[in-house]
Amino acid sequence: MTRISGKYLAKRLVVSYLTLLLIMTLLFALIRSAPGTFIDSMISPEMTRAQVERIREVWGLNEPLWKQYLNFMINYQTGEFGRSPTWRVPVWDLILRRMPRTLILFGASYIIAYLVGPLVGMYLGWWRGTQKDKTIFGTSLMVYSMPAFWLAWLFIWFFDYEMGWLPSAYMMTQFPEFEWTAFTVMTDVLTHIALPLISLSCIGWVGAMLIMRPSMNNVVDEGYVFLARAKGLDERTVMIKHAARNALIPVATGAIVGLAFLIDGAVITEAVFTWPGMGQILVEAVLNNDYPVTQAAFFMLAVLVVGMRLITDIAYTYLDPRIKFGEEN
Amino acid sequence: MTLLEVNDLSIRYAVEDADVHAVDNANFTVDSGETYGLVGESGCGKTTLAKSILHLLDSNGYIESGEMWFDGTLPQWEDGNGNPRKEIIDDDRYPVRADGMTNLAELSDSQIRDIRWREVALIPQSAMNALNPVYKVGDQIVEAILRHEPQTTKREADERARDLLERVGIDPERADDYAHEFSGGMKQRAVIAMAMACNPSLLIADEPTTALDVIIQDRILEELEQIQEEFGVSILVISHDISVMAEICDRMAVMYGGKIMERGTRDDIFRETANPYTLGLKNSFPTITQKQQQLVSIPGSPPHLRDPDPGCRFRKRCPFAVEDCERSHPPMYDVASVEETGRLQEAMDDRRHGSACYRTDELDEIRTKAMKEETWKETATQSH
Repeated sequence: MTRISGKYLAKRLVVSYLTLLLIMTLLFALIRSAPGTFIDSMISPEMTRAQVERIREVWGLNEPLWKQYLNFMINYQTGEFGRSPTWRVPVWDLILRRMPRTLILFGASYIIAYLVGPLVGMYLGWWRGTQKDKTIFGTSLMVYSMPAFWLAWLFIWFFDYEMGWLPSAYMMTQFPEFEWTAFTVMTDVLTHIALPLISLSCIGWVGAMLIMRPSMNNVVDEGYVFLARAKGLDERTVMIKHAARNALIPVATGAIVGLAFLIDGAVITEAVFTWPGMGQILVEAVLNNDYPVTQAAFFMLAVLVVGMRLITDIAYTYLDPRIKFGEEN
Repeated sequence: MTLLEVNDLSIRYAVEDADVHAVDNANFTVDSGETYGLVGESGCGKTTLAKSILHLLDSNGYIESGEMWFDGTLPQWEDGNGNPRKEIIDDDRYPVRADGMTNLAELSDSQIRDIRWREVALIPQSAMNALNPVYKVGDQIVEAILRHEPQTTKREADERARDLLERVGIDPERADDYAHEFSGGMKQRAVIAMAMACNPSLLIADEPTTALDVIIQDRILEELEQIQEEFGVSILVISHDISVMAEICDRMAVMYGGKIMERGTRDDIFRETANPYTLGLKNSFPTITQKQQQLVSIPGSPPHLRDPDPGCRFRKRCPFAVEDCERSHPPMYDVASVEETGRLQEAMDDRRHGSACYRTDELDEIRTKAMKEETWKETATQSH
């Protein structure tokens, strides 16, 4: 039984595409309205007027704005992101190199957050009102209210500065003295990812827990939970198969919002840990008025969020059979 | 033959600083193949009593004292014929007595889980919401079968589930549907089908008709009767609706404030009504069979049961209350022998018609007065 019709899926894809076009337009408008252009850093006082004109010409800044917009829209839809004036490489290369690093760190912390959060939320909701619930809930709220960068500093101070257990910057050792094998590289990356991952995960899971706990709380008194118990199922099965399965539905919605927040945190966390990902070049690109990179970086984040939304919508129909998309009644 | 024998059962709910006496010294017996009713207003303890049989009380509820002897035991204590083995009966560590009955009150949490559904199935009050919205209806029946009969294959269980649905008048194809695709009556019937999945000897139906419209109500009652005929299952039905009880019960107990006020056969209760509370309850429900002038409700509301005083639970709303009623709650009197001898005589056999009222020996006068509307109005003015 398919719960999602092809027609609906097509409609959703078109809407997602239009959303991206809209975001691109906004992006273009926002970036062009910032003061200065990226060639400011290429111009020195000794240059002649003609030289400056030439630079403008080369980077296409002499075209009328509507033409620039049109070029931008066409190029992006054909996968052409242009060259970065700051890094002097094709933007696409830059993204290909940077994006996986961001995805590794934030993908991992996202997975941890949405594994741990709902799991803890499930138990707390099940044990509602008990001492255990109050203690864990109180502690996690305290952690949740700490600024992520501040917690990151604490970790850096303790694990790196005081104890020297874990490195606090970069993705790898900068001038390695060890032999270059798959194993050593792997361990090296793992020790480097540890601190940023821990400080992201410490806070990230609480959001998911905050949705799961009351959601679980709402279902524990449902008739089907009682019936599951009356059927002779053990408490574990009742909790996981009957209660938590239903309580998860709102968590799926929270996961999309959570994704946006994680990306939001990427900029700060990457800066704190000198993590060479997208967040880092985004900051630099904005400061340098590097249009191509700024546009591309924001565009990629937009693709990620819009894409995730689409996936979550489809996942929803499997999570909750009451939801049917695209069925006409 | 006795299927369930409840002796002096008391159930409490622990609240902040007190105990709620939800059920107090309840005695009754359910026979094999019969329909037994528990009737009373909301909050009288009937649902609590039913849930306690399977240890399904809320977390602050507990069985204070009493026994629940049940003809059926744990799978691991059974011999080949489904009776408890001799060494289990002889061993004092097991709550199984000489006649093979098991005391459900003494089973541990994991033990009672093997009784649930396999021996005693319970259709909860909110049967409409009892189906899990995220699983197919058929799969939920299969789950119950596989839980208690792990040797059954999934395919066999699935076939049985479809067969059960068909028996309650649901197209077996609908086993692949979800609960939200069922109507209210269908959900109720699906839960009845699910209850029969493991062929239990006792089916507890808690307010089986309450949320349904009158026509569906009637069909569900028919369904229950048909199921009983087909499977030979005993039904313990709980309802506040005395007319539902009149329709399907062989015997019944009328509860008020955690106490059984009157018990007996359907005819005992409806034709030989002996307790002031039952008389009042009867007045407040319409009947089709008898000509009745007007519905008269019992003034006031049920007692709170939080550390209750020793007097009769019903006395504050009872138009026939006397001084004795203040002192202690009346014991169960044997109505027939009281009428015969004119003297109050306590009931020894809980199958006989019994009434908990100190004025059981003045029955004629009470019955006549209870017919009159003014009788019930007077209490209202008295109590204010």
